[in-house]
Amino acid sequence: MADIPLPPGLTEARLTDVQRAFERALGADKVFFTDLDRTTYEDKFAVDDAGHHPAGAVAPESVEEVQAAVRIANQYRMPLWPISRGKNLGYGGSAPLLAGSVVLDMSRMKQIAFDEQMGTVLVEPGVGFYDLYDYIKANDLPFWMSTPGNSWGSVMGNALDRGMGYTAYGEHAKNIMGLEVVLPSGELVRTGMGAFSDAPTWQNYGFGFGPGWDQMFVQSNFGVVTKMGLWLMQEPEVQLGMDVEWDKPEDLKAIVDALAPLRRERIMTSHSSIGNWLRVASTLTTRDQWTDKPGALGDDVIDAIRKQFGLGWWGLSIRVAGREEVAKAQYAIVKAAVDASDPMSIRESTWRKGEPIRGDGWSGTPITFPMQNANWYGGRGGHIGFSPIIPQDGTAALEQFQRTYARYKEYGMDYQGSFVFGERHMINVNAMLFSQDDPEHLAKIDPFFRQLVADAKEQGYGEYRTHLDYMDLVAGTYDWNGDALRKLNETVKDALDPNGIIAPGKSGIWPSRLRGERGA
Amino acid sequence: MRRALVLSAALLALAGCGDAPPQAPAEGGGGGGGPPPMPEPVTLADRPDATGGEALYLEKCAMCHAPNGMGYGLLGRRLDQPNLELRDDLTADYVTTAARMGIGNMPAIPRGEVSDAQMKQIADYLAAGPHPGEVGK
Repeated sequence: MADIPLPPGLTEARLTDVQRAFERALGADKVFFTDLDRTTYEDKFAVDDAGHHPAGAVAPESVEEVQAAVRIANQYRMPLWPISRGKNLGYGGSAPLLAGSVVLDMSRMKQIAFDEQMGTVLVEPGVGFYDLYDYIKANDLPFWMSTPGNSWGSVMGNALDRGMGYTAYGEHAKNIMGLEVVLPSGELVRTGMGAFSDAPTWQNYGFGFGPGWDQMFVQSNFGVVTKMGLWLMQEPEVQLGMDVEWDKPEDLKAIVDALAPLRRERIMTSHSSIGNWLRVASTLTTRDQWTDKPGALGDDVIDAIRKQFGLGWWGLSIRVAGREEVAKAQYAIVKAAVDASDPMSIRESTWRKGEPIRGDGWSGTPITFPMQNANWYGGRGGHIGFSPIIPQDGTAALEQFQRTYARYKEYGMDYQGSFVFGERHMINVNAMLFSQDDPEHLAKIDPFFRQLVADAKEQGYGEYRTHLDYMDLVAGTYDWNGDALRKLNETVKDALDPNGIIAPGKSGIWPSRLRGERGA
Repeated sequence: MRRALVLSAALLALAGCGDAPPQAPAEGGGGGGGPPPMPEPVTLADRPDATGGEALYLEKCAMCHAPNGMGYGLLGRRLDQPNLELRDDLTADYVTTAARMGIGNMPAIPRGEVSDAQMKQIADYLAAGPHPGEVGK
């Protein structure tokens, strides 16, 4: 039997007491503490396999069972790590930040309540993008989801971690409309209009009366969210698209400066992303098909990849969706801006309501195929990403790219970078692909990641979301006025969760009794 | 490998990484008509009569193992038949071990997500394959 990971201050005998308490409250068929169980909840894309091992897991099937688990955790001061479905691969998946925590796996909670008139949905944590898609399809509802590149996961979990999709509804955390939360005390609270008993507008008006708390439970450890409201996009009359390629790395400035004003004006509303050639090559092929040379890919290989797939150095897809008259007018403006940016090629497409839906992620359809990129190096694959928020400005984007690309070459990494258009910002996603079976390559990831964090910090650029390994590091970069935000977060944490049981260390927020665990 | 590449290219209009919105590979350059329509995801709504292991397979596995899923694409690089429902060489023990331990890029599936009883139904269903009638519905 392998050593059982234990949280600070808890003995193995005490862990057995905790397990028995969970079994009495939930039933033995919802409590998982075997060696194999622990292994199945580890981080599947880990850079360091030794970190973040759980002590076990429990799988409540109702809000009442979540409350019961939280009360037991308080009794034994046993840290819980809530997951919705645990599929945010690249950020830690189902694994807890603090080794020895018990995973609170809510993947069995799968209720869906849909308001067809208003286009809103109330979901439990276990509802995956495929489940909601199936519900919409089975009931022939005229709405589209916004889906991320890995849609295996939870609709709620993705939004609560500020996941992104591609459509106009792509900033998922902004579409959250009302939460139900089990507080660390076990008490149940509803936010917004949900606080008003029997209000029919919980998913329609987000603020209620007084302070609005929805965002307080996003990327935080202040409670366990058990229901989430979300707005969905009306199925459009038409979707007009263009897939555009540009030839040179330096074109990035012109692309951003051409389209950013239209994004700010809400003429271009899709969360489009400017990405390089490896985004395609890593999904369709493996590295050994192109070269056996170590280090960053050379220009000869880049040229071969681009030639085979007809790619530019950068590519971008834009979709304009809605009523046909409006969409056509918007599209014409976007097309003129793209034409003026000297593209290498433009491929246009049109979809009209009633035509077969394309399973491409732009049309409310969930997808998982982009995760094929984890197989780029062969072996047991994985990836993590460094994704700072940068200004929506061409010069800033180009300089960020040039700095980062130079670092990829310095560390011998294949560059997979993209620049996502937010409304007033851009997210510079830098993927680091690896094989878990190549220790030499893996050893470079951590210093490389830390270098990128330091480089971005010098520019005033902070990450929007990160892997478990780097939550303390990234939180530490949000340091204005003597770490005032961290102090506020931890004051709130201690007030709500005096025993420090909910997700200690999440987003760099530690409860007082475990602050010694803070990493660097 | 060549066969798998052609297969994948036909299915893909987009490629991306994690939450990074993807782009379209303009195969052969620009112009002309746009990408071919990609297949829709396969879910229970497509096969409403499915029960038991077949229904569980659609709910728990098809997101990766149906056409345009990660598992389908990666298995297509190594096997002539990437669709698990059309395989005639799967045993229940192999399916269970692969799912619980993980295999290649496939993460391990915990019991909280798929119970032992559900796993047995899925494994028995796949071991009884191929199921061309079900896939073709």
